[in-house]
Amino acid sequence: MGPPKKSKKDRSGSDKFAKKRRAEDDAYTQLVDDNDSMDNASESDGVPGAASKNAETNDENINTDEYGAKDYRAQMQLRPDHGNRPLWVAPNGHVFLESFSPVYKHAHDFLIAISEPVCRPEHIHEYKLTAYSLYAAVSVGLQTHDIVEYLKRLSKTSIPEGILEFIRLCTLSYGKVKLVLKHNKYFIESPHPEVLQKLLKDPVIQKCRLIRSEGEGEGDGFIQGTMDGKAITQFGTKLPPASDKPEDAGASTSSAAGAATAEGAVAIPDDITDFYEKIDKEEEDEDEANLKTVSFEVAQEKIEVIQKRCIEIEHPLLAEYDFRNDTNNPDINIDLKPAAVLRPYQEKSLRKMFGNGRARSGVIVLPCGAGKSLVGVTACCTVRKRALVLCNSGVSVEQWKQQFKMWSTADDSMICRFTSEAKDKPMGCGILVTTYSMITHTQKRSWEAEQTMRWLQEQEWGIMVLDEVHTIPAKMFRRVLTIVQSHCKLGLTATLLREDDKIADLNFLIGPKLYEANWLELQKKGFIARVQCAEVWCPMSPEFYREYLTTKTSKKMLLYVMNPSKFRSCQFLIKYHEQRGDKTIVFSDNVFALKHYAIKMNKPFIYGPTSQNERIQILQNFKFNSKVNTIFVSKVADTSFDLPEANVLIQISSHGGSRRQEAQRLGRILRAKKGAIAEEYNAFFYTLVSQDTMEMSYSRKRQRFLVNQGYSYKVITHLKGMDTEADLMYGTQEEQGQLLQLVLSASDLDCEDEKMPGEPGYRPGGSGTTRRPGALSSMSGGDDAIYYEHRRKNVGSVHPLFKKFRG
Amino acid sequence: MADTKSGRYASSSAAISPLVQGPENLECKNFQEYLRTRQTPETLEKFYHYPPICLAVFRELPEIARQFVIRILFIDQPVPQAVVSSWGAQKFAKEQAEATSCLSALNVWRVTAIPGGLAAWELSPTFKKSVRQALMGGGKPWPMTNTLDKDSKPRDIPFLDSYAMSRWRCVLHYMVGTGGRNGGSDAEAISPDAVRILLHANLMKRDERGGISITRQGFQFLLLDTRAQVWHFMLQYLETCEERGISLPECLSMLFQLSFATLGRDYSSEGMSNQMLTFLQHLREFGLVYQRKRKECRFYPTRLALNVTNKDAATATTAADEERMQERGYIVVETNYRVYAYTDSQLQVAVLGLFTELLYRFPNLVVGVLTRDAVRQALRGGITAEQIVSYLEQYAHPNMKLVESAIQSKSCLPPTVVDQIKLWEMERNRFTYTEGVVYNQFLSQNDFVTLRDYAQSINMLVWQNERTRTMVVQKNGHDDVKRYWKKYSK
Repeated sequence: MGPPKKSKKDRSGSDKFAKKRRAEDDAYTQLVDDNDSMDNASESDGVPGAASKNAETNDENINTDEYGAKDYRAQMQLRPDHGNRPLWVAPNGHVFLESFSPVYKHAHDFLIAISEPVCRPEHIHEYKLTAYSLYAAVSVGLQTHDIVEYLKRLSKTSIPEGILEFIRLCTLSYGKVKLVLKHNKYFIESPHPEVLQKLLKDPVIQKCRLIRSEGEGEGDGFIQGTMDGKAITQFGTKLPPASDKPEDAGASTSSAAGAATAEGAVAIPDDITDFYEKIDKEEEDEDEANLKTVSFEVAQEKIEVIQKRCIEIEHPLLAEYDFRNDTNNPDINIDLKPAAVLRPYQEKSLRKMFGNGRARSGVIVLPCGAGKSLVGVTACCTVRKRALVLCNSGVSVEQWKQQFKMWSTADDSMICRFTSEAKDKPMGCGILVTTYSMITHTQKRSWEAEQTMRWLQEQEWGIMVLDEVHTIPAKMFRRVLTIVQSHCKLGLTATLLREDDKIADLNFLIGPKLYEANWLELQKKGFIARVQCAEVWCPMSPEFYREYLTTKTSKKMLLYVMNPSKFRSCQFLIKYHEQRGDKTIVFSDNVFALKHYAIKMNKPFIYGPTSQNERIQILQNFKFNSKVNTIFVSKVADTSFDLPEANVLIQISSHGGSRRQEAQRLGRILRAKKGAIAEEYNAFFYTLVSQDTMEMSYSRKRQRFLVNQGYSYKVITHLKGMDTEADLMYGTQEEQGQLLQLVLSASDLDCEDEKMPGEPGYRPGGSGTTRRPGALSSMSGGDDAIYYEHRRKNVGSVHPLFKKFRG
Repeated sequence: MADTKSGRYASSSAAISPLVQGPENLECKNFQEYLRTRQTPETLEKFYHYPPICLAVFRELPEIARQFVIRILFIDQPVPQAVVSSWGAQKFAKEQAEATSCLSALNVWRVTAIPGGLAAWELSPTFKKSVRQALMGGGKPWPMTNTLDKDSKPRDIPFLDSYAMSRWRCVLHYMVGTGGRNGGSDAEAISPDAVRILLHANLMKRDERGGISITRQGFQFLLLDTRAQVWHFMLQYLETCEERGISLPECLSMLFQLSFATLGRDYSSEGMSNQMLTFLQHLREFGLVYQRKRKECRFYPTRLALNVTNKDAATATTAADEERMQERGYIVVETNYRVYAYTDSQLQVAVLGLFTELLYRFPNLVVGVLTRDAVRQALRGGITAEQIVSYLEQYAHPNMKLVESAIQSKSCLPPTVVDQIKLWEMERNRFTYTEGVVYNQFLSQNDFVTLRDYAQSINMLVWQNERTRTMVVQKNGHDDVKRYWKKYSK
């Protein structure tokens, strides 16, 4: 008797479907992020070869059972006490964790360190082991042996051989060598002498070596490779006892974790807790372990070379900054205010960064509204060296300055803003806040800006904080790195996620992901708002749907955005929430729709061309004026618009299926609301979709990230009370007909989403948006159409001769 | 002259049409309905010779009906209908009418005329006699009542439960086609008789190559809870038992006697007819009774048998018993549509595979995801969204019930998932049908416009096309429009 569900034919059908779906995904990926594809060529350098290894393919030759599932049963044995162990490890690197297991806390901490979370809903979490995540694990001090051993103990089954192999492959060479700046000298440091020996056998690295005993010799290439273990200079790296922990509030809670172990140990196999304690202790005792490290000094000007070379030979250098022993750079006088209290997860993330008394470079991922800025400010206050904060818009520059003033003792004289509109005097300041485009700008600058840039380049920055790090393409980031010298880099983001996989490269450019918070847990503890997500289905009116079916692609989009029943739903929701006293933001990517909706409903709106002053005015009004409860914004407000008052978000049009945008937008209303704990939900996130149009499938795709974070979308097919609401617009057929005419007569340009500077197809000053005084690029004078157009036309086929002239 | 044709016309408006019926769905009636619909008065009369059946019927009656029966049970003459209806308050006339019709339908009482021309109720004499016997004793001793020596190795309730479940699962395993292959201890093949019943019940069918495979109804059957499954299965068995030369009333009577038995007690099969012994063997095969050896005359009824006719078995047994009986919940459904099932049972995996896309299988866990395609395939197979949801609910992992939202609402599944499954089902029923009449072949545009405008004015126009001069009018407006047309064309 055959398998009941699928006949053969069905299965091949579903295969085909899967393939098709994949193709669709690909196409759509290109659609979303094709702006990065132009710098493909340079994308792969700076990333070691092992990073391209992928456990996903490990199970390709595994049999599938009769239901089409991958059958791993032959690969692993169930352990007799499996009930007490919390996880399964699949041969393709996916790890499943029971969140209700008594050892969940340990397992979760461990998995967060060694793997990427895939989805973390209520009961069973899925993680994935990747080359990057293992790299991150090693860089925070876990050893190959520990990882394998602990994984074995936590697992309900035996671990597939392929996975063990994968872990060894990815961790053996990573994280063994560190680049440390100490007493203003650069050292290559490692606890493993044999690794250093191997490095020193490499001719390029030999050249970079600096030998003190021969005076201030510059590593002139004459030093022969006769090094053995003894010849390697031994440096005691024990820190002064006073400073074995950073002074931020996140000093010591790891003992609390140990205590929790004892409580929950009822049914836990001993080996798990024992081992957990051991690992825990190891983390604390790392200073002691460091006693045994060996190191050699390298010449400062060869740092770039050696970094590159080390990546080539698969020993990427971890950058650590021993800021306490750095006497070359002056300390800045900045501290956290006593009022600034760190939340547990903020502490935890900072502990990962300053775990061994030095500053590690890396990325911290926290949901929007969970207090990323405080983490950034605390990091700066801990390092207490000159700090550079990079963010992606003029508005967020202002917001960062506010944050610094709010949480730390820094005052106006210490904080320097560097944007096209606000240029404070940089000299003598401790903190410089600027935008990415300001730094990477290649055109001519004003004299003043030129001066600041020069100053900026001359400085040795203690810490560089990169806000919304996911938004910058690797290429731009590389340019930042060549311009700014910084000892340690901290990336902050809510969504380490791109529709392409280029995000992974950031791991090697900035550093590994140090910490990623669990959204659902933060929500449960009340650190971020409890959001009710809803997808509202708006039926297409017959007239609009007829046009939708017959018209060409670009207009289709305008048709489903302008769908009268969507307009009515939007109006209804706004009314409903205004009556409740909520503050509502309405998002639309499409400028035509944005303007139409906003003007029709008589609400203020912000989009690209809105000037900086006007923006700030509207936002101030929204914050403080009880008459302005609803604003319309385009995607300029996707990131870094801090609107703590807003608790309702309505999305009427969006950028294809971008998961990131969805998450970022949700972030606008995530900030915890005061005094609203009694209610089940205190924030609302509506997405209006026109039924039976492409929007439905986009919407599905967009939701994937948040759904994986444990959010659930309620589908609303009918808004209760909308029929009885009398004064909604576009109720009559006649009005709807007029609207249709309006849509049909719209130009092609109106059909497109708003383009941000830097996106392909961005036309400054075009499409009726006459001036863009407030846009990002204009701040840095980047409004040069020729620059962008040119680049697009010549992708891939530039004559080498011309390259010279374009820099 | 306009020509009118009657026809159906599909339009996309509201209301769900009876015309788009899904594939034939599994019906699972309760005992009362079974008696009412499948049995003629004559067979009912035959049944009523057996006190156990009468007792069971009596127990299944609505409460008011039971009152009526008890009140007139010992009255040897017909009771006027007016008297009977005066027993209840006017307020509950509806319930009373229900009870009355129920009694008539089951042939428990019938109308007779009493002197004076009044209509009166008279209990069926056979029924009356049997019920009296059941209540007060007398008559032939029931076959199971023979006393037995004490069992040297008595079987306790947990043993009986696990035995019953393993036997019953065997049948289900056979249905999903895994029983033979697995070769496990509990996976003995089932008897040809059982196979015949499955075939007869349309739960399985013979395919071209002579093999046997499961049908749509079979899949729906798998999604039912165990009690409903046993009942459905027994009904099918009873339908075919006459063919096998076993008397239907005798079987029923035996089944009910079993259901009156006490769990964990042993009974004797001494004095049973050969037919009944065969029946007992069949019951043994499905796990309704436990018997150590075929020839042994000692047997224990199991919970399956006890619950078979009891419509509120779930409330009757204590929660602890229930839990022991039910397999422990093993399915975790997440808000991201992931389904994790702690199981290695082929049966459970097969059932899950009906409506989920399975991704991975670990030694004690199956990982799947509820996708639109998988659910739609199940819906196409005649499984309803309701069945999927209730299956997931029934076997939900205990941890699912601890979640905050589960405590507040009655379902432990994430509401969005439930909604989505239902939306996927609704998606399939978006066509709505309006019956209508086509008017076409108008001779002049003027005629057409006049008639169309009229139809529109009385709100009966469904669709019209000026170019082809065709219009469709709702069926119930047809007469009006026709009349108007006749008047107009004169």
